[in-house]
Amino acid sequence: MKKPLIQVQHLYKTFNQGVQAVSDLSFDIYPGETLGLVGESGCGKSTTGRTLLRLEKATSGQVLFEGSSIFSLNEKEFQPFRKKMQIIFQDPYASLNPRMTIGEILSEPFTIHQLARGDQKKRGVKQLLDLVGLPLAYVDRFPHELSGGQRQRVGIARALAVSPQFIVCDEPLSALDVSIQAQIVNLLKQLQIELNLSYLFIAHDLAMVKYLSHRVAVMYLGHIVEIGTSDLLYKNPKHPYTQALLSAIPLPDPVTERSRKPIILKGELPSALNPPKGCPLVTRCPFSMPICAQVKPTMKEVAPAQFAACHLEPG
Amino acid sequence: MKKILEVKDLKVTFNKWHQKIEAVRGLSFDLYEGETLGIVGESGSGKSSAIKALVKLHPESITQMSGQVYYGKSELIGSTDKEMQKIRGREIGMIFQDPMTSLNPTTPIGAQIIEGYRRHFPHISSKEARAYAIQMLHRVGFSQPEEWISAYPHTLSGGMRQRVMIALALAPKPKLLLADEPTTALDVTLQAQILILLKEIQQDMHTTILLITHDLSVVAATCDRVLVMYGGKIVESGPVHELFASPRHPYTQRLLQSIPRLSQTKEEPIIPIEGSPPDLSLPLKGCAFCDRCPSAMQICAREEPPLFEEKVHCWLYSPRRL
Repeated sequence: MKKPLIQVQHLYKTFNQGVQAVSDLSFDIYPGETLGLVGESGCGKSTTGRTLLRLEKATSGQVLFEGSSIFSLNEKEFQPFRKKMQIIFQDPYASLNPRMTIGEILSEPFTIHQLARGDQKKRGVKQLLDLVGLPLAYVDRFPHELSGGQRQRVGIARALAVSPQFIVCDEPLSALDVSIQAQIVNLLKQLQIELNLSYLFIAHDLAMVKYLSHRVAVMYLGHIVEIGTSDLLYKNPKHPYTQALLSAIPLPDPVTERSRKPIILKGELPSALNPPKGCPLVTRCPFSMPICAQVKPTMKEVAPAQFAACHLEPG
Repeated sequence: MKKILEVKDLKVTFNKWHQKIEAVRGLSFDLYEGETLGIVGESGSGKSSAIKALVKLHPESITQMSGQVYYGKSELIGSTDKEMQKIRGREIGMIFQDPMTSLNPTTPIGAQIIEGYRRHFPHISSKEARAYAIQMLHRVGFSQPEEWISAYPHTLSGGMRQRVMIALALAPKPKLLLADEPTTALDVTLQAQILILLKEIQQDMHTTILLITHDLSVVAATCDRVLVMYGGKIVESGPVHELFASPRHPYTQRLLQSIPRLSQTKEEPIIPIEGSPPDLSLPLKGCAFCDRCPSAMQICAREEPPLFEEKVHCWLYSPRRL
């Protein structure tokens, strides 16, 4: 068995005023693997990604990169790890400096991490453009001259400049048109194989997550409620929340779409300021039992390599 | 079936700096009473510009419009503001994508529903209007509407706000509802609920719906017929089952191939459409999809394809050999 690249252990993140964005997350990501992270808006997906990159300070818990804890390091000690862990953002319009040319944007990481200078840097930028499928002439263009898909390619190239091993992809497709999304997905897939990258792929498009991810983790109200290999999890979800979420996926086919019966959870998402004491889903779960309001369920193996946090007996 | 709306050669051009953007380049379609018609397209395809033009919501100072839109006996493009005010809301209701920016943040939701309703029915007493607002909130799924009626929009979740938008649009009982990406800002679980709600209400109130979306699954779930737009024009139209089962236009075919299906394995690739949509500030010659089309022929770059087989604008379906 391969050793995990990233190990997240009991990660908590509480914002001011007590918003519990992320509670007790534990998961591993292996080299060359894509872990999909799904859930509704506000469930803590993006906070998870940002916290494990140290872009947000964790309240408690550990993140190990190749076995070494990155939260206990000071900025200087952490610098070499920063190169290995990068992020691609959702909005390719807001994440590029409008006053810098594409060439300047892509050479910045080389400067910051003192990786190359002069001609070497120029060669590096050219290699990056080539890698993400942009014409070399784009070095002198400004972000506003590019389309959304091209900008997202620049965002990916910038993350790749420092030869990372792990990239958090935070909704990288949401701002793009359907026909362009497929271009970026295929690029991410191809880069993963070429460079042996690991991804944490955060998205709300559940069909796309299934297509791209080896394993998928489902989040609800700051907790991972279920995690498993994507094919099995989608085929046989065990947690009532996963079942409801997957049943709501709209299908691009009028025949199956019209016979689909989504499971509608009653009520509204509870506030993260004051989450339920036991299971996070207790207020909305169709199967809730007295124990669910009292005791937080722990992760149990419900099928081979599939874990769910639920008091119901598996099966 | 009775025609409720007839659109003939609608063109919308915006002046932006020194450029003219031809957002809608000649759109014609009919809408029949009681049906749900979907317009599907990517950003820049002109779908939103077209639907806003139907009720003249574009600022006149920067917009040129031509063509005709017949709603019953009235022609809307040539109508005055005063005439349009009687039609907007009362005859043709609207729901927009973002429920947060479409609601007034300083007014309780009940008051907003009452305001819109009494604007068209001034003889209704405020007490009756309040009772009606409660009834509408109940209809769109608020379990204790009396308590919610004085709530402000910021205290509501995204899904609840979109329900309020629907109540607001449907309160004056419009015959036609224009829904511009009504579920795009929502999570899938809420999307499913809102789409079910729209359908139920349509059956109750016999509303005709014109739905704009970029999402083919939303079309599959709700529409009877669909128009596919690309580069400011319709490229293909037809009944929804037919269009999904046998798409004709290469754009529609490629669009359907570019979205992953749940049954898709990792080994089956999804096929993207290479390139990007046309720049509508430049004059377009021939077919707008020509640059990205794998089946493009010489004629496609020269001449705009007319309608073939009554449903598709593509030279591939020309009866004469090219």
